[in-house]
Amino acid sequence: MCDKMAAGTENRVLSYSVFKWSSYSSTYLPENILVDKPNDQSSRWSSESNYPPQYLILKLERPAIVQSITFGKYEKTHVCNLKKFKVFGGMSEENMTELLSSGLKNDYNKETFTLKHKIEEQMFPCRFVKIVPLMSWGPSFNFSIWYIELHGIEEPEVVQPCLNWYSKYREQEAIRLCLKHFRQHNYTEAFESLQKKTRVALEHALLTELHDRLVLRGDFQACEELIDKAVRDGLFNQYISQQEYKPRWSQIIPKSNKGDGDDNRPGMRGGHQMVIDVQTETVYLFGGWDGTQDLADFWAYSVTENQWICISRDTEKESGPSARSCHKMCIDSQRRQIYTLGRYLDSSVRNSQSLKSDFYRYDIDTNSWTLLSEDTAADGGPKLVFDHQMCMDSEKHMIYAFGGRILTCNGAADDSRGSEPQFSGLYAYDCAAGTWRLLREDSCNAGPEDIQSRIGHCMLFHSRNRCLYVFGGQRSKTYLNDFFSYDVDGDHVEIISDGTKKDSGMVPMTGFTQRATIDPELSEIHVLSGLSKDKDKREENVRNSFWIYDIVRNSWSCVYKNDQAVKENPTKALQEEEPCPRFAHQLVYDELHKVHYLFGGNPGKSCSPKMRLDDFWSLKLCRPSKEYLLRHCRYLIRKYRFEEKAQTEPLSALKYLQNDLSLTVDHSDPDETKEFQLLPSALFKSRSDFIPLGFSDVDQTYAQRTQLFDTLVNFFPDSMTPPKGNLVDLITL
Amino acid sequence: MSTSSFKNKCVTQVYCIYCDSLLCTRGMKAVLLADTDIELFSTDIPPNRTVDFVASCYATESCQCKLRDIACLKCGNVVGYHVVAPCKPCLMSCNNGHFWMFNSDAVSTVNRLDPSGLNLLLWGDLPELDDQEDENLDSQSEEEFIR
Repeated sequence: MCDKMAAGTENRVLSYSVFKWSSYSSTYLPENILVDKPNDQSSRWSSESNYPPQYLILKLERPAIVQSITFGKYEKTHVCNLKKFKVFGGMSEENMTELLSSGLKNDYNKETFTLKHKIEEQMFPCRFVKIVPLMSWGPSFNFSIWYIELHGIEEPEVVQPCLNWYSKYREQEAIRLCLKHFRQHNYTEAFESLQKKTRVALEHALLTELHDRLVLRGDFQACEELIDKAVRDGLFNQYISQQEYKPRWSQIIPKSNKGDGDDNRPGMRGGHQMVIDVQTETVYLFGGWDGTQDLADFWAYSVTENQWICISRDTEKESGPSARSCHKMCIDSQRRQIYTLGRYLDSSVRNSQSLKSDFYRYDIDTNSWTLLSEDTAADGGPKLVFDHQMCMDSEKHMIYAFGGRILTCNGAADDSRGSEPQFSGLYAYDCAAGTWRLLREDSCNAGPEDIQSRIGHCMLFHSRNRCLYVFGGQRSKTYLNDFFSYDVDGDHVEIISDGTKKDSGMVPMTGFTQRATIDPELSEIHVLSGLSKDKDKREENVRNSFWIYDIVRNSWSCVYKNDQAVKENPTKALQEEEPCPRFAHQLVYDELHKVHYLFGGNPGKSCSPKMRLDDFWSLKLCRPSKEYLLRHCRYLIRKYRFEEKAQTEPLSALKYLQNDLSLTVDHSDPDETKEFQLLPSALFKSRSDFIPLGFSDVDQTYAQRTQLFDTLVNFFPDSMTPPKGNLVDLITL
Repeated sequence: MSTSSFKNKCVTQVYCIYCDSLLCTRGMKAVLLADTDIELFSTDIPPNRTVDFVASCYATESCQCKLRDIACLKCGNVVGYHVVAPCKPCLMSCNNGHFWMFNSDAVSTVNRLDPSGLNLLLWGDLPELDDQEDENLDSQSEEEFIR
């Protein structure tokens, strides 16, 4: 009914007063937001500092449905403008819900945002609105808000029914909490009486049935059957999709060819290049630096055969590129061709060798190299660079190259007073026409289409939305934290993140020799962080960390962080767990089979600077599967059954442990085995050890079964379950 | 700091005109080399914790110096700029060697007095700063992590 009335009513400006504020500085009072004077720099609220928490709480004159918020601005761009903020709303100060999370553009135009004002199609009213600034455009500057306008509906005919609904909703939740409490404490009469009177459902009928089977009847077999059916009906899918990925590294020991000795797989190296042909599940590896010299060997690893094949011991001898490292390769899987551009030359060699940027293509099917250009700079393309990035756009048959440091030949003997390093811009290579085009020059300007070139960054091409994603990198001594995308068809740059210190802990840190891959189907970017470039930090907290960036949701999540320092003689177990942190390694991703491959690199051991790695790993990111959850639930049920039995029939319990319970344990998993081995101690514990907190007035068995019920219920979708909270938790001292 | 004319200039305290916070205690009234009609206040050391950069570098029409705006940390308003890299003509001509500027319409100033409290404090009276060489861009550190 509320919605029908809303359709005819106007969305008006809502009156409010400034109720509370975290702080303010000088003359920039909170009340200034009530007035819109864009040409007066003092007509704004400014916080005293940018240390959280900073906020403004507005109180509406009347409860209203708050549908949108408008931010006014200053007539010029201003560093105090809010780059990131959140808006909360509610009927009381203590009880507010998030209505909006967004940011303002740093310009002089008003911006209006829609606020969340419905819960599942039901409008809800607010009396208070809280604005929480999180980040300003200038990271060290305070937060300023120039002008705020709220819009919504305040007609009582519309708002009152919503208030009634809200009130009823709260009452209903209170009743459910009571029902839950009564049932937990076995106040059967009270429970039935309340339920009969209010007709409020505590939970979905299926879960009531589970409770009946488990807690009231102790019919464990029936419980398992119910869970089994629930899993098969897909009821656990929501839980699974919310779980985090767990990384599973596995070192690859390839098959060795007979009689080939040590030469049957690539030797140790850093600064090499790897690409993967997902159609044939083949990983190609070329070149690198073995600690002493550049390499020119070319390899292919077949995942299905688990074998390396040496395509060429020296590509230069086969009309291919000379030995090199810090080059970049990309693969055109469609046409089965591999391109390589760039390389690094030591300063001692630079003056004698020509600095031509040669550009080669390898055709997989004909096993032949073609020199596409002797010097791409002469063809309008990039100069000779290293530590750049290159991506393939198979669809339009284009290659994009960005960044890298340009190698220059210094005439003067004294290199220390050399000129500023030059970084290469963004170039496009039209493979069919064989021509280069400069898309963006290196620019330090802050224009919307300007990009800063860099080295050591990550660049990925999203074949579905046809954008390049670039982040991180370094420019001389400055680490860059920004993240932007480039629409190749629209020739348009979009800044995703400016990169400020405030994000620390929430996004992968730069300066850690990252490697990134992209999954266009899931629209995810995966980033593996390596070794800290800061030598002082290195020994303390050497770490691997793996991050996933969800492109659609624009959010980073850390899959794992390895905080262990690398020991001198790692135990075998640790070695098998995951590759040691390193840099100058290569990481490729098979988006069809969802597997990453990693090879070699430099472990950064200051005591052996020439040491390089030749280890080969695969990484799978796993979420618990349906089968795993089913087994896990069975384990929980049987484990409890064992513990219950242990109190009364220890011998029978032991037998149960050894047979039925043992069946649900994965004995190859060390954690599960360990837990399983500790279970027999239940046979020797007394009853009193088991009393759970908060159930002092209840029969112990009933209490314990209730606990198990609460655990199992978590796997079901929230819409089916009883409320998560407990009545007793509302009591504070 | 070269010619004697600069030594006789008064040391000023520079305040942000918008919020009155103190920006700098070692200011000098000067004129812009590229356009001597424009007056401003310059200082030799980066103002400590009172201003910070905004936006990115730019060059003006008058000369090719690479500049970057600075703003008062208190109120966020732009108060001046820093010369990130001077252009050759400016570097060659007579200058006071200061690279931090405050726009005269964004600041208010007060002349400082010497320890006796009777006379104006002059730049010639200020202790010399240590020569700060530009950090050599250490290309070695970049190249350490590539292979």
